[in-house]
Amino acid sequence: MNVVIASSSIDGGIGCWDLQTGAEQLRYKTCASPPHGLASIGSSFLACSQLRDPSATSGHVLYWSWSKPQAQVKSFPAEPIKPIAANSEGSYIVGGGSSGDIYFWEVATGRLLKKWHAHYRAVTCLVFSEDDSLLISGSEDGCVRVWSLFMIFDDVRQQQASHLYEYSFTEHTLRVTDIAMGYGGGNAIIVSASEDRTCKVWSLSRGRLLRNVVFPSIIDAIAIDSGEHVFYAGGRDGKIYIAALNAESSPSNNYGLHIIGSLTDQSKPVTCMAYSAEGNLLLSGSEDGMIRVWDMKTKNIVRMFRHSKGPVNNILIVRLSYPLNRSESKVQASSRRHEFSLHPPLEKYANSSDEDIDNKTIITLPDTIDLPSYLSSQLINDHIKQLQQQGSSAAAEMEVKRLKLDGQRSMEMFQQLKKVYDNLQEFCVNELLDGQPMDGSKGN
Amino acid sequence: MYDVGLKPSMLRSLIRQYLPAANQPLDLNTSCFELPKLVSVLQTHRLLSELDSHSVGPKLINAWKLAVDDWLGCLLSLLSSDMSDKCWVGICLLGVTCQECSNQRFLTSYSVWLDKLLSHIQPPSESQLVKIASCTSLSDLLTRLARFPEEGAASLLYTLITFFPASIHHSYDKVEAAIASKILSGKYSTITLKKLGYCLALLPKSKGDKDSWSLMMQKILISINDHLNEAFQGVEEEAKSDDARRLLVTPGKDLPSPLGGHTSLESGSYNRTSSERLPTATISTLMFCCCKMLTSSYPVQVTAPVRSILALVERLLTVDGSLPPTMLPFMNSVQRELICSELPVLHAYSLELLIAIIKGMRRQLLPHSAYVVRVVTRYFKICALPELRIKLYSIIRMLLLSMGVGMAIYLAPDVIDNSFSDLNSPGGEDFEISPVNTGPVLPQPSNRKRKHGTKTGSVEKQEGANPKGGESNIHQMTPINVKVAALDSLELLLTVGSASKSDSWRSSIDSLVIRTAINSCKRGWGNVENNVFLPNESASLWADFQLSSLRALLASFLAPARVRPPYLSQGLELFRRGKQEAGTKLGQFCGYALFALEVLIHPRALPLDDFYSAYHNPTDGASNRFPENTYSGSQKQNTLFFSAAQRTDEGAIKSHNDDLYNKWLENEHNAVEDMKDKTSRPNDSSLANVLEVSEQEPAAANADVHMRGEDEMVVQPRRLEEPIPKSQEIVSAKVDKSPPAVGTNLEGGEIESKKALSASDSLNDIDHDMLSGVNKVDDFDTVSRKTSSTLPNVEKGSSSMAHLESESSMDSFPNIVDADPDTDSDSV
Repeated sequence: MNVVIASSSIDGGIGCWDLQTGAEQLRYKTCASPPHGLASIGSSFLACSQLRDPSATSGHVLYWSWSKPQAQVKSFPAEPIKPIAANSEGSYIVGGGSSGDIYFWEVATGRLLKKWHAHYRAVTCLVFSEDDSLLISGSEDGCVRVWSLFMIFDDVRQQQASHLYEYSFTEHTLRVTDIAMGYGGGNAIIVSASEDRTCKVWSLSRGRLLRNVVFPSIIDAIAIDSGEHVFYAGGRDGKIYIAALNAESSPSNNYGLHIIGSLTDQSKPVTCMAYSAEGNLLLSGSEDGMIRVWDMKTKNIVRMFRHSKGPVNNILIVRLSYPLNRSESKVQASSRRHEFSLHPPLEKYANSSDEDIDNKTIITLPDTIDLPSYLSSQLINDHIKQLQQQGSSAAAEMEVKRLKLDGQRSMEMFQQLKKVYDNLQEFCVNELLDGQPMDGSKGN
Repeated sequence: MYDVGLKPSMLRSLIRQYLPAANQPLDLNTSCFELPKLVSVLQTHRLLSELDSHSVGPKLINAWKLAVDDWLGCLLSLLSSDMSDKCWVGICLLGVTCQECSNQRFLTSYSVWLDKLLSHIQPPSESQLVKIASCTSLSDLLTRLARFPEEGAASLLYTLITFFPASIHHSYDKVEAAIASKILSGKYSTITLKKLGYCLALLPKSKGDKDSWSLMMQKILISINDHLNEAFQGVEEEAKSDDARRLLVTPGKDLPSPLGGHTSLESGSYNRTSSERLPTATISTLMFCCCKMLTSSYPVQVTAPVRSILALVERLLTVDGSLPPTMLPFMNSVQRELICSELPVLHAYSLELLIAIIKGMRRQLLPHSAYVVRVVTRYFKICALPELRIKLYSIIRMLLLSMGVGMAIYLAPDVIDNSFSDLNSPGGEDFEISPVNTGPVLPQPSNRKRKHGTKTGSVEKQEGANPKGGESNIHQMTPINVKVAALDSLELLLTVGSASKSDSWRSSIDSLVIRTAINSCKRGWGNVENNVFLPNESASLWADFQLSSLRALLASFLAPARVRPPYLSQGLELFRRGKQEAGTKLGQFCGYALFALEVLIHPRALPLDDFYSAYHNPTDGASNRFPENTYSGSQKQNTLFFSAAQRTDEGAIKSHNDDLYNKWLENEHNAVEDMKDKTSRPNDSSLANVLEVSEQEPAAANADVHMRGEDEMVVQPRRLEEPIPKSQEIVSAKVDKSPPAVGTNLEGGEIESKKALSASDSLNDIDHDMLSGVNKVDDFDTVSRKTSSTLPNVEKGSSSMAHLESESSMDSFPNIVDADPDTDSDSV
């Protein structure tokens, strides 16, 4: 089941809809999120960073289980966290701080495993690579950086290296608003949008700029179609621009180079987008509180979800392995709640005093399926082999030889002993015969 | 054959023919050995199944039922016989019956069978075979029972696995003690010990809570640790054992009761006195047990002492039987020999344990991944035993797969070092050809070889250690299966990690792979068919090697690169030849390879759906309408955008406003043209400038290096201009491409080329591919011979860079514009 979840910067909760049927599911309460602050943690629960007062010196992160509208876990990081992201397994959460630090937490224990200074100004968006081995961060200072998580955890290599990041892209001149990553592991492309009215396409393998697309308006949201033919850029002028990646574009069009066309239905700015490869759907969230579902084949809006009066600023499409029915959720909740309650809140500081915890990791052991198999017929073969080995003619032959030898030796020994015995007997008899008269003479 | 009506009578005749009558003595040598035949007939014709199909009349059903009744009657009478051999036959066949009989029959009579079987396990006087057979039959009975979920028999299944019929939950400690004492005594055969270890590993499942798992793990680790402390006295420093202990037991917390209630030292010393051998069997069984615990499923999340396990692995791998320098040699040589003889087994199990950790932890290994990599790479340097090297390669592969690109960037140098030394050394078979012979086939590889040879020399000089002789001895003969493992690892490295930061190693790996593939296929194809005279493995070994080398070759072609695969034509030829071997795995793979390479030759980037019909505005021009037509001119398959860019070529060049668009085109054109463009357009943004410089640099700097022979000075200022701090890679990339240029210099005389060589050596910091045991001078000689012999070929050489440089040295810059990889494709 694919669900759409969306949150807003004013408190409208997290809306949740079935993408296929359009039916609204549970609404998760009390959530006011910054952009990129909503994440599904390995599709086992929802997490969202909270920022009520932009000037506040602290924020918090909330967890919701899928089955309950109330937030269940509240964490207080050391500084306001805006963007958060989780790896696909849901074992780690990263958060970007307003100081430019990136925080790396382990979900199962809540421990802050790493914290590093990533940018000079606040981190605005965080994206994991397809294989979860790279992290891409964008910042208010216009910088996009690529981190290898392996390097982040290798203290030895860090000392030898001059910098922690793999690549640092500095071509944006203003705040980075969104980052999307394409397909292809180490050869993927990264598309970044910025307040400088450009979107830039970067090559991860070469570590440099491939394409710069200048838009008529500031772009706050981007989504790449799964064929990487085009990418979609949602602008503050309310239009969704379609820009070419592999697609060709003619230099003489209305919007500028590489921009093939646009979708428009509204005048309110587009704030966030998500792309669903199943059915080639594009979801856009707007400041008017609506979520529009576009069929990209026909370029028509096929559905609209009303989230709230305020601007929607996060949309995610999450694939759930179980249906999210309200009636059923109660039954399942009891079994899942146990697991969910295991997740402790995120720690504020890296706490390395408890060495024992450091050395251990909470893991879910892989599901192995032991297929039952019947053994008897195999056993018959084994046993017969054993019996045959004992009774095989070659073995028997050797055994016979050995026994013969043994017998021979025994015979010899017997002969010898017999001889000894004979001698002894003869001696004794002689002694007796000889001794009799001597005794008799003594006695006499 | 398919007539159901025959089955009852078939069964009856089987009973007559094979089952010994109760009153006749059993002749072991005849009827008994025919049991497998009986079983196979039973199973093939499903004689006990009593199929309830509609086509069968009630008469037949009845007849069948009676026959099976008879069969069971016979079995039960055999079971109750007091002759143990008859008993054994009955028990075995009852097990088969459990598997084969109909559901209805099983449900009605399994309790009777269970009682019968149990009665044979309990009396101590029964013969061993009968007991084992009873256990197995019981296991089959329970397996069948487990299929009926309402019976709640799933838990019984686990009971069965641990070989104990009684409820285990209540006697958990007793079972633990029983198994542990057997393992600690170490007196059983390896297979038995493994089975026991597996049972011990599954034991916590019977409780199924978090703590029993952790406790069991801790107990096992402590026990291993204690055994090691004793075994390694004298070959490792005392501090090591204390460190290990500290990780295992948290200070201030109670020590858990020892494994199975024994103090393991007690049993250890018992062991030592009884025989002068190390408790290897015990240690390895316990480690096997750890492995199983880490890789078997468990109902709840558990806390795994990752650090302690890793420390244990590291500790074991560090001990190589040599005496630590700080210690007095108080160990006598017999003891040392003993340890050395047992170490390979222990090392093998340590690596198994490492594999289990990687499997069990998956992504969560991340915080420990650096540590794991250090342990593995360090051990790789000293490890010389083929089996262990194969294991190491498989660990490397697991790491690459599970940790992805981020790991591959850093693991690449070690993979390459090791596979180079393994693949370049003469093989165990005499199929391997001496490197000189490869000359005529391929001019490039030999050049590479020299480079690595000289590189090895310089590294060793720098480090001042590791005498060459020792190194070459270790790897003198590399068995084929190690080479297969090395190739498989290279293949994975190419697929996972070749996109990122691979400039320094890519070209040398490509040439190594093609060389290996050509060598492996030189003598025809390996025979996969089982040769009856040879054991299975050795027959297919060579075929495996060929398959692996071709797989690596395909990966090297398909992996993202900036230039067209230089050996594509040779490779295609190999695949075409291989494809003709119909019916073999290799033929199948070659067919697949040719299919996959088609995309490389005709790159395409297709739109989703009917993108164009909806999007394209007719005024855009009809010529743009069919972009999905393949564009065969594009060589760089990793620039997906290139073909699109190229197509709108003219339009883009006309619009001078967008510099970045031009930049894209320039990538594919040439540096010199850029320069012209740049001078003609002074309004370029700084960004564009930077890009241009980085683009043109490799070519231009290369030309400088090889024309003037003074590299460091030319290159260094350019580093400052690099927008991205990876100048080192670019430098080494240049060096990679140097050999053809050296070849041209050679015309001038040997001294000059030597100078160029050493210069490139000093540059070449990153690319430290080791070619062990290659004598610098010898190698240089062979190579110089070869390069001079292949000089005439340079013009149509397989490397595009050769072109570029030979031409640039003639100062004919405008020509370079055409020396695009296109020409390359024509020549090969």
